[in-house]
Amino acid sequence: MASIRLENIEKRWGSFTAVQRQSLDVADNEFLVLLGPSGCGKTTTMRMVAGLEQPTAGDIWIGDRRVTHDLPKDRDIAMVFQNYGLYPHMSVADNIGYPLKVRGISRGRREAEIRKAAAKVELTHLLDRRPRELSGGQRQRVALARAIIRTPRAFLMDEPLSNLDAKLRVTMRAELKHLQNELGITTIYVTHDQIEAMTLAHRVAVMNEGVVQQIAPPDQIYDRPANVFVAGFIGSPPMNLIHVKAENDLLVAENARVKMAAAMPAQDLILGVRPEDVSLCAQNEGSMRGSVFASELTGDSVLVTVQVGSQRVLAKQDRSFRIDAGAPVGLRLNENRLHLFDAETKERLP
Amino acid sequence: MNYSRCLSSRSSDLLVLIAACVILVPIGWIVLAAFKSNVDVFQLKLFFSPTLANFATILDPPYVIHHKLLNSAIVALVVVVVSIPIATLAAYSLSRFKLYGASFMLTAILATQFIPAVTIVLPFFLMFRSIGMLDTLLALILIHTSIVMPYAIWMIKGFIDGIPIETEEAALVDGATRLQVIRNIVLPMAAPGVITASIFSFILSWNEFMFALVLTRRDAITLPVGLALFNAETGVQWHLLAATSLIIMIPMIVLALLIQRHFVQGMTMGAVR
Repeated sequence: MASIRLENIEKRWGSFTAVQRQSLDVADNEFLVLLGPSGCGKTTTMRMVAGLEQPTAGDIWIGDRRVTHDLPKDRDIAMVFQNYGLYPHMSVADNIGYPLKVRGISRGRREAEIRKAAAKVELTHLLDRRPRELSGGQRQRVALARAIIRTPRAFLMDEPLSNLDAKLRVTMRAELKHLQNELGITTIYVTHDQIEAMTLAHRVAVMNEGVVQQIAPPDQIYDRPANVFVAGFIGSPPMNLIHVKAENDLLVAENARVKMAAAMPAQDLILGVRPEDVSLCAQNEGSMRGSVFASELTGDSVLVTVQVGSQRVLAKQDRSFRIDAGAPVGLRLNENRLHLFDAETKERLP
Repeated sequence: MNYSRCLSSRSSDLLVLIAACVILVPIGWIVLAAFKSNVDVFQLKLFFSPTLANFATILDPPYVIHHKLLNSAIVALVVVVVSIPIATLAAYSLSRFKLYGASFMLTAILATQFIPAVTIVLPFFLMFRSIGMLDTLLALILIHTSIVMPYAIWMIKGFIDGIPIETEEAALVDGATRLQVIRNIVLPMAAPGVITASIFSFILSWNEFMFALVLTRRDAITLPVGLALFNAETGVQWHLLAATSLIIMIPMIVLALLIQRHFVQGMTMGAVR
């Protein structure tokens, strides 16, 4: 168990910068999730921690040891890969026991440890099988057992659930969380799935274009997004981002006049409001008015898209709510849950 | 529709039959001739009194075919033993590491084989003569190694390219050294390719004629060159030539039967990647 520190780390391939110069700290026993869209640099960041990529600049520390130029084998970490990275020519038992085998642990001790690790992920009955004879979920468990067999200083997980079906993903997510709680090992987890990030993480680092946009606990990421990117990326359905102009204590756009508590200097802003903080009302009552563009039943709710001038606003309504397309409506916003961003810098206004 | 499909199937059967005949009839003739006496060879009869006398004759002077068999076996085996590990490591490097000029190197390696052997055999002859290596097995081993290496590198590289990089990275993170990764992960996974390349290298060396003809005289003569001994003043001794040819073919047939599964898997896997 150890903390992980990335100091002014940067990764470039020629003129392409995959990870821009920045620092990142992961506390001992912490579960940090790197979240972001494809190509945002999250996997590259993790691979640099693993030693599978060399940083162009900066240093990596695991515990009190600088490991920037150490080989992966000398970093005492375990990694679970997106495609599991199992050894197809070895049995499940040999796969799990490989980290001990290369460390010269005797066969007897190895077998005991293999059984112990396999029991933790409920694989004991499959030890003689080959990976190709296992289902996706079982393969994932083998990869997990291989990671936990030797109590490493840190776990690195690269989208480990992305190849599983939706139902199995939920089960495995819970198991991962349980395992991390039980073992208390510092974990860096890469995903593009925000539900995984929100449910698993102690802290989430949202990345885009090689830069960490915000690093905070999940509730803070959701409630106080640092910029327009985080606001739009976190949440499903995503936050409404409405272009407005500040005029004294009003935010004005076509067919929209939102009253704020205090006056503001005249400027272009982006108003962020989550669909669950928007409710429908009579056209003359709300702070915005428009007509229903579409209404979609998702099962547990109804998503109503309203055309407000040239912009569209999404409102999440009760599952029993019904409305026809084209109907004139007003929109009432929860004034305690409004987010304001500078239209130019895209950063959150305090 | 069915009629045309049936016709097409019949015609492809016929083509396969013709192709099989073209390939098998000469082999069949050699097999039969190897057990015929000199007078029976030119009679195309299938029923005759088989004899092993031809095999006894080729073991006696001046032919001593067993000596040439031993030379062929030593050269082919040493070539495989030397070239395959080197080719595997070269293929691994070319497949996995970012090497300066790697694609040029790969093309250049193969391009050496586009040069007709007959155009370079003379410089090799002069070179080996000047260093006193003419008519030695070592000279043949060196030449054959250089012949098989490009094919072996290309074949094995195709297989290593097909191994998911994640599998190797998993082993590196699990604590393996690069050599352990090659031994424990890459070699078992690329085994069909390595076996295919080994068989191919063995066959190339076993059948090689041009260099063996020019670079050997008496002590290091291999089986294919040995066949020329039967072109005597009295004419070609077909019965002895057939018996020797059979001896040349037998290891190939046995090899093919023993490792047919790997060979087929190897050839097809290499082809799709």
